[in-house]
Amino acid sequence: MLRAEEVRAGYGAGDIIHGVSLSVAPRTVASVVGPNGSGKSTLMKALTGVIRLSSGRVLVGDRDISGLPPEEVARAGVGYVPQIDDVFPPLTVRENLEMGGYLLAGRQVSVRIDHVVSVFPRLGQMLTRRAGRLSGGERKMLAMGRVLMLQPAVFLLDEPTANLAPKVAAELLTGHVRALAEAGAAVLVVEQRAKAALAISDYTYVLGGGQVLMADTPARLSASQEFTESFFGAVPQSPKLR
Amino acid sequence: MSSAQLFYVINLLIYAGVDIIACLGLSQQFGVAGVTNFGFIIFQAAGAYTAAILSLPNQSANGAFQSYIGGWNLPWPIPWIGAMIVGGLLALPFTFLVGRRLRGDFAAVGLLVTAVMANLLVTNYRPLLNGAAGLSLVPAPLQSKYNPLSAGYQWLYAAVTLVLAAAVFLLVRRVTESPYGRSLRAMRDNDIVADSLGKNLLSLRAAILVLGGALAALSGAILVGFINTWAPSAWGYAETIVLFAAVIIGGAGNHWGAVLGAILVPVGFEEATRYIPTFGPPGLVDDLQWVAIGLLIVVFLWFRPQGVLPERRRRIGAGAPPEPVEIPNEDVVTLAGSLRAPGLADAMGQDGSAVRVTGRPITRSVPSSVEADGGVVLRTVDVTRDFGGVHAVAGVSIEVRRGTLTGLIGPNGAGKSTLLAMLAGTMPVTSGQVIYAGADVTSVPAYRRARLGLVRTFQLASEFKRLTVMENLLSAVPVNRGDSLAGALRGRRYWRPDEEAAIARARALLDRFGLSGYADTYAGDLSGGQRRLTEIMRALMTEPTMLLLDEPMAGVHPRLARQIGAQLLGLCAEGMTILMVEHELAIMDEFCDPVIVMAEGTVLATGTMAALRARTEVVEAYLVG
Amino acid sequence: MSLFLASFGFGLVTAAVLAIAAVGFTMQFAVTDVLNLAYGAVMIASAFVAYALNQAGVNVWVGMLAAAAAGAVGSVLLNTGIYTPFQRRGSAPITMVIVSLGMTLIIEFGLQAIVGGTNVSYTMSQGPTVKAGGLILTTVQLVIIGLAVVVMAAVHGLLRYTKLGKAMRATAANRSLARNCGIRTDRVVTLTWALTGVLCGIAGTVFAMNNGSFGATSADLFLVVILAAVFLGGPGQAYGAMVGAVIIGLATEISAAYITPSYKDVIAFLVLLIVMAVRPGGVLGATA
Repeated sequence: MLRAEEVRAGYGAGDIIHGVSLSVAPRTVASVVGPNGSGKSTLMKALTGVIRLSSGRVLVGDRDISGLPPEEVARAGVGYVPQIDDVFPPLTVRENLEMGGYLLAGRQVSVRIDHVVSVFPRLGQMLTRRAGRLSGGERKMLAMGRVLMLQPAVFLLDEPTANLAPKVAAELLTGHVRALAEAGAAVLVVEQRAKAALAISDYTYVLGGGQVLMADTPARLSASQEFTESFFGAVPQSPKLR
Repeated sequence: MSSAQLFYVINLLIYAGVDIIACLGLSQQFGVAGVTNFGFIIFQAAGAYTAAILSLPNQSANGAFQSYIGGWNLPWPIPWIGAMIVGGLLALPFTFLVGRRLRGDFAAVGLLVTAVMANLLVTNYRPLLNGAAGLSLVPAPLQSKYNPLSAGYQWLYAAVTLVLAAAVFLLVRRVTESPYGRSLRAMRDNDIVADSLGKNLLSLRAAILVLGGALAALSGAILVGFINTWAPSAWGYAETIVLFAAVIIGGAGNHWGAVLGAILVPVGFEEATRYIPTFGPPGLVDDLQWVAIGLLIVVFLWFRPQGVLPERRRRIGAGAPPEPVEIPNEDVVTLAGSLRAPGLADAMGQDGSAVRVTGRPITRSVPSSVEADGGVVLRTVDVTRDFGGVHAVAGVSIEVRRGTLTGLIGPNGAGKSTLLAMLAGTMPVTSGQVIYAGADVTSVPAYRRARLGLVRTFQLASEFKRLTVMENLLSAVPVNRGDSLAGALRGRRYWRPDEEAAIARARALLDRFGLSGYADTYAGDLSGGQRRLTEIMRALMTEPTMLLLDEPMAGVHPRLARQIGAQLLGLCAEGMTILMVEHELAIMDEFCDPVIVMAEGTVLATGTMAALRARTEVVEAYLVG
Repeated sequence: MSLFLASFGFGLVTAAVLAIAAVGFTMQFAVTDVLNLAYGAVMIASAFVAYALNQAGVNVWVGMLAAAAAGAVGSVLLNTGIYTPFQRRGSAPITMVIVSLGMTLIIEFGLQAIVGGTNVSYTMSQGPTVKAGGLILTTVQLVIIGLAVVVMAAVHGLLRYTKLGKAMRATAANRSLARNCGIRTDRVVTLTWALTGVLCGIAGTVFAMNNGSFGATSADLFLVVILAAVFLGGPGQAYGAMVGAVIIGLATEISAAYITPSYKDVIAFLVLLIVMAVRPGGVLGATA
């Protein structure tokens, strides 16, 4: 279970996200959607320890991980797939996976690699290829496989389908992202492609101006006029400042 | 005073003068223009050697114990002038190493290596400049007429050196405190942006290397005329480090700092060791001196990188008393005078007519070709941009009409920024044409499009941080007599009219946008919203016909965003044409007509926001992303 | 032909010393993005540590181990105490270069203040001369070549087959992603400086051995040759540095045999300048 409570964070000058709260239960997929500039990437970085929280808390289960650096956040059971720079290009596919399994005991690594290959068979055919030579879709698979090595309780994916062709993107989301949840993890996906995200989510948060504007099940959101408008046009221009 | 003490004082004065000249040249390159020339010492050596071989008699003289090229026994001042010419010319091949393509530290290492290599070549190839032994018995200036050992001659030499040092100081100051100097500093702060404003980076860097080279050479010539000898040991890379230490400690970019640094480090330091009783084995004091210089470099770079005398703030400032402005709270700027409440109504006067700006209009007059073309200022014909097989922009044809505030929107990856870059010329097209004011500008580079009146702003911070807001604005002026080396050298009287006209325009803009109180603030100290405004104002200083704005409201407080929107509308009412990429759709709603929607590299639709909102495929594009 | 072979042999020795040094330098750049121009100073300081032990009667090969330790300690102190704080502040790369030059002055002239300005040499026998297939080398030179081969194999083994080595490559490739994998990159970086410091210390000792006599500033020129090998192979590429070292080592010695010996370093410098002007990423190309 991942929980964010009234998280505020930014890059120094001022906060970009102003009090975001969300939760993701195990075995579910939650998505965060919103127009550009709504603070989605900043939220991800705050949750993974890349930037400091100005206030608020982030919890994994009972453990408070607010303010921990990324390497400790990883040890707390959070796996993060960034939007870009998501693999180690000079390392082979196998070595990338080994780095994913850095925190595992030696013997476990090959076992886990076999498991990841069973989830992503394509990777199994490319174990000795350098990651920098993979196509966009293959790289994303590798990035997800790397995180899968640790079997984290929480999966965070930052715009996994950006730069992917629509068909590959659809396959990635419907096939693999849902499968992660089915295997037991709490999955949080940040997406630009709102429709695609809604299709695979159990719950969706709509972010705008650094705040949660709406949060509901995909079914109810799709039916709501307010949802469509929040994407296109009537985004409230004065975020409630404190 | 005994003759030994006399000689010591003269010696000191001459070394001080020589080091001052060298440090002033280096400070110009390093502190003002941002060119880190680790090969600097080569120029001083070149000057010394040139002066030597020009004034020495043929190598067969003096029992032929030295071998060197040249030896034409020329009278003073020819050797010194020749030295400066050689120093200047030698700088030209160095320009390729300080170009933009190389990382700063890689280029610096390359230059350092060049200095070491030059030293090695001269040391080992004896016929050139007598190898490791170097040149000796170099004639002192006018030694056939006067006795170089007499006190009178030596005092005169010291006096001439100091006079030259003062002359160099005035020269260097004249170059730096001019529009040309401002362009150098802009290049130092952000060379890519300076380039897009029309500054010719290559010529700026070449000029500053040549100038510094000539000055370094002069210092070498003066020195060799006095000590009458010059060898490779005098110009190892340790000597370059000493000069850099002097400039850093004294204050890079400040001319008095260069003087102070020269006095403190090469002179002060060397002399201080004279007064320390020699202790320990021979050479210990020298070694500790080097350790101390190394320590000073590191300590100063940590605690006071700007040096003892930091670069001065140029206060050109507001003519009228500064507006009372409160300390900015994030992006909220309180506007003075002209604009009160934000909103569309306020961009128009009470009776609905457009607000008139007193004085000179901001837009330049539009060529008749635009009127002939139905008022279309910018048009693209089937423009495409490929990145390795992926179509970032695919067959886009748009029209932008004069006097409109046209919006360009679309989800992430739609190709908006790529299209904007192709319109501005900062990115080449793969195919298609860009037509501006009736002329095909597809292959015209960005800085020339800017000079034709098609100007862009950038998404990321692109102000010149260590220039004041006023200087930022002035740096964009396309034509200023003082913005060339020749113009700068002719002095303030020559370029003052152009400068004052520019300052007046800048002040008008500052008033209009409510930032008069910040005219003398360093742009790097402004808040995000203020920087946006500065960038827009800077673009306006170029008297553009058409502005291409790349997300001008990004990260800006909504209230300020609307104020900016109102300002832009006001400009359009005066005849400006603006194309704006933005994500803030409410801004589009309120201010832009028409709005162009892009998705996946193509144009989806064009119209007002209300009309677009009614079209399902447009809404879908945003949701699908 | 015999001239060629003889110079080829010298080339191999130079390449050996260069390889050990260049690999250390380039790996420091890979994980920290700093051109550590004080590397030569640490090399020669370590050589003097071996010298001190040598003067006390210790065999210089044993002294080399102490030099390796000294190199490790010195390098870690340099990075942790000086480079990292400046980088944390956001200093520009050019500032880092000037800082490293300042540190070079402090280390080299501090050393010279202690050991004096006269050149010294190790007390060691060069061993019998060996003639192998036209090459004429002393035993010591052969040992140096062998040592380089062993060190290169060890570096290869580290980088390719150990967890730490892969973590080092991962940290160099993408530091934030490495942290997301749970790698404590600060520790990895410190370990990298320690290991490359060992290489630096060994390189300093064999450099001093090969030079015959040496002083506190003897490594100044050699640093430039190291830079040439590093840039030829691509800054940050360990295997590139190895190849670059062999090419530069052979090129300088063989050309020295046919042109005047005093210009042999000039070849290295020219290579460096040409590579920087034409392909700063290294002629041998970055991997991936």
